[in-house]
Amino acid sequence: MIKDGIQLKVNGRTYALKKDRDYEEADTLSKVLRERFGLTGVRVSCEQGACGACTVLIDGKSALSCMMLVTEADGCDILTIEGLDGSDPVVDAFVNTYGPGEGTAMQCGFCTPGFVMEAHSLLNENPNPTDEEITEALSGHICRCGCYHGIHKAVEKAANHICKCKEEAEAKEAANE
Amino acid sequence: MKERKQVYVPREQKRYMGTYRPKIDAKEKTLGKTQYLDDITLKGKLPGMLYAKILECPYPHARVLKMNTEKAEALPGVWAVLRCDDPEIRALGRTTHCWTDIAITPKDVDTVMRYWDREFLPDTGLWVGDHMGVAVAAETPEIAEEALKLVEIKWEILPAIYEMEESKRKDAVIVHPELNPNSNQLRHSEDGIVDDLYYNRGDVDKTMEEADFVLEIDKTYGGVTTHGCLEYRGCVIDWREDKMDVWTNHYMSDQTRMFLHDYTHVPLNKIRVRNGNSGAHMGKWNTGEDIFFMITAYLSKRAGRPVRYKMTNHEEFHETRNLNRYQVKAACTKDGRILGMDMICEGNTGAYIGACDHNVEFLVREVLDRDFAPIKNIRMHSYTWFTDRAPGGVVRGIGNVQLCWTFMALLDELAERTGIDVVEILKINCGNDVNWPGERNHSICKILDQGAELIGWEHRHKAGEGPLIDDCKKRGMGVAIWNQWHAELNELTRGFYEVSIRLNPDMSVIIQAPTSETGAGGNSAAVLACAENLDYLNIKPEDILWTPLGDTELGLRDNAPTDSVISFLYAEAMVEAAAKLKGEILRRVGEYMEKKTEELDIEDAYVYEIANPSNRVGVEWFMLHTDCVPIHIHHARHNVREQAGLPFGAWFVEVEVDIETGQVEVVDMVVVNDVGCVMHASGAESHQISGQAMGIGEVLFEQLHYDWETGTMLNNNYIDYKMMTMADFPKQITPVLVEEWKGLGRYGAAGMAEGAFTGTGAAIANAIYNAVGIRMDDQAITPIAVLNKLYGFQK
Repeated sequence: MIKDGIQLKVNGRTYALKKDRDYEEADTLSKVLRERFGLTGVRVSCEQGACGACTVLIDGKSALSCMMLVTEADGCDILTIEGLDGSDPVVDAFVNTYGPGEGTAMQCGFCTPGFVMEAHSLLNENPNPTDEEITEALSGHICRCGCYHGIHKAVEKAANHICKCKEEAEAKEAANE
Repeated sequence: MKERKQVYVPREQKRYMGTYRPKIDAKEKTLGKTQYLDDITLKGKLPGMLYAKILECPYPHARVLKMNTEKAEALPGVWAVLRCDDPEIRALGRTTHCWTDIAITPKDVDTVMRYWDREFLPDTGLWVGDHMGVAVAAETPEIAEEALKLVEIKWEILPAIYEMEESKRKDAVIVHPELNPNSNQLRHSEDGIVDDLYYNRGDVDKTMEEADFVLEIDKTYGGVTTHGCLEYRGCVIDWREDKMDVWTNHYMSDQTRMFLHDYTHVPLNKIRVRNGNSGAHMGKWNTGEDIFFMITAYLSKRAGRPVRYKMTNHEEFHETRNLNRYQVKAACTKDGRILGMDMICEGNTGAYIGACDHNVEFLVREVLDRDFAPIKNIRMHSYTWFTDRAPGGVVRGIGNVQLCWTFMALLDELAERTGIDVVEILKINCGNDVNWPGERNHSICKILDQGAELIGWEHRHKAGEGPLIDDCKKRGMGVAIWNQWHAELNELTRGFYEVSIRLNPDMSVIIQAPTSETGAGGNSAAVLACAENLDYLNIKPEDILWTPLGDTELGLRDNAPTDSVISFLYAEAMVEAAAKLKGEILRRVGEYMEKKTEELDIEDAYVYEIANPSNRVGVEWFMLHTDCVPIHIHHARHNVREQAGLPFGAWFVEVEVDIETGQVEVVDMVVVNDVGCVMHASGAESHQISGQAMGIGEVLFEQLHYDWETGTMLNNNYIDYKMMTMADFPKQITPVLVEEWKGLGRYGAAGMAEGAFTGTGAAIANAIYNAVGIRMDDQAITPIAVLNKLYGFQK
């Protein structure tokens, strides 16, 4: 049955969207996020699931927003790159990967938000991934500038930071007990 | 895996330039705040915006005999239809397929290819996909597509040709009769060429007789790969009454303005072009865009609304790397010298000229002078042929990749035949007489020695004699070198380039050093150079705002980022702009202090009296306590018109070849680039590493396939056209930055971003030879091609 409205939680806020006013039945999630919400960090490129630029998190897991209808996201919790800020460990690691031999984690920056969201999805599920797990998780994305070394390094750094914070929190908790 | 980290040590330690630090826009790019064409032209920002679609020719060679557009025009939501028989469009005349990024305007015959081989919306299509026939503007892209389907066309289908050999036949169909009614051969780019002999120095015949032996190679590169940007080319144009507003991701707003002015005659002050960042366009954006700019402009004029045109994923494949074939006979000596070369250079340019002739004429001559000056005898015949393929275009690394592929194979073969290490062969035969006359080229020696040491060249075995690994794999090492392309002299045709520095009363700074940020990093380099040269004010990079957008109405003239050269060109301009700013501060503060400027100097942001340093005034205090007016400096500079030679880069590769499957894997790589002066170490190393995604990808992964029955590209999308991902990328690539050569100006740098992978394919091919003893002559090193060479399989 076609509903006349959907509900989306986008970057922490809940929105009720009315069909034909806020979206059309055939609209992709990426189109609504970009054009209705103005969330242009959601990039659209290949529109066939090859590049990963449009990746967002849906209920904590990565999804290609150009490959799903907005109606499929009804009731979901969506996080786009705009829902993160500079204090985010993945963002911080992408920005601050620049050391000798590392390269950088971006050049033109077009694909970067997609990689960041994918890295979040990975680290949500597996905070301490191996090299191979990082590579496997991010290999659905294309960085045509080719910053794969820098991106890999950034995800390693973010994972290390998250693990370290977790260990410190656990140690603090243990000390309190 | 060998753990190695090479830290770049600058020739001259500077405060900010040449350091390892984040890109200035790293945070905004990571957070998705960087704006691209789609973002600045959301429909909500441009109410009433329409969407344009242009017909793509469904045949490799066909003419419109009759066209009925009534149904398309009647479709609800369609606002404008342009036809190939439209008098206003036909009156525009012809254009070129390729006007380069350094041309001032497409009509600038001194810097543009001299061929008017394209029409705006022609009635004849010359390849499957050619933009022609009819264009529409409608309220949605879907309606525009539907409208095109409703256009009824009666076609005259003409014979089509795809290969150079077909093009050469006397009875071949003529692709461009307006250029040459009798032949598909393009006339030469220069006058006075007789019998296609483009270049001749020394006595080649004599050296062939004197040689100990003659080597012959036949190499082909191009035609099977494309640029593969994630952000496709496009524009939005709003042309109403006498004003034209344009937004685009073309990497030069001013050049776009000049182009539109040339054809529409709208005064330059009535055309406002704005551009911004572009998604991985490094080295692209030179070909074919003329057509859609003009069509979009006229659709907007007819509809009275802004019209947006953006290429689709498959239209991103509207040009390929130029398809070039080089046949070389080299007169050689037993001690590893090449005495002379007899060359046949050919190009299959496809339907239009995309600088393909440049790759077999001007560029080859330039390379022979730059890279092979020790070879005194050279004869070169050149030919360029039109066919009904997708046109060749300006793809990152234009021409140099194809030539490096050829010459490095030749020198590797010479090493094999003489038993001399190829590193020594390269030192003997390569370089020029500009920088170290009478000596071996220091830059070449340095990059080769450093690269060889790091990759472990001393462990390289003879061709095919390495151990068998896992019962089916063999390893080998290869090397290639090439010049770093762009130094000041090579960028003279840019003319003057402008920068500005605006010092605010709180000592924050806004600079304009306008260039589209394609990822080349010209913005970071400009900020670092500005901070470096404002050391008398203690300005740090964090104090400087780089204004990102090209805007022909409000901004300075922008410059193409080509090969990252804009990084050092703007850095040189900043040296002079900072000195000008100092002079202006001294003038203003001098007035206040009642001193002449020559009696004053500035240090640590204080203006002081030279004769009495305790008499001093803080610049910030002065600005805040007098009129609070920012001090604004504009500076225009052109390059030094002197020959200063070029530095070189080296690519060392170790591959593993699976002799059962034909699969080739790059297991180690060392990339050494002498750039004269490093502007931003992190950015430069990033290019050295990441450029290999295209360099390796082009030979081992990417390959366009055609159905030659219909002339149709079969895999022009990013699912079927395989670009490298993280899973495919080598685990180890070591970047090495060198400052051996020194060019002109304060810093004396050369470009490197576009040329980051010039020698990658050539080094891989040489490494494959070292591993298993086969020479790969064509670009696509597919498993089938490897097995075919190894075992003589039929394709």
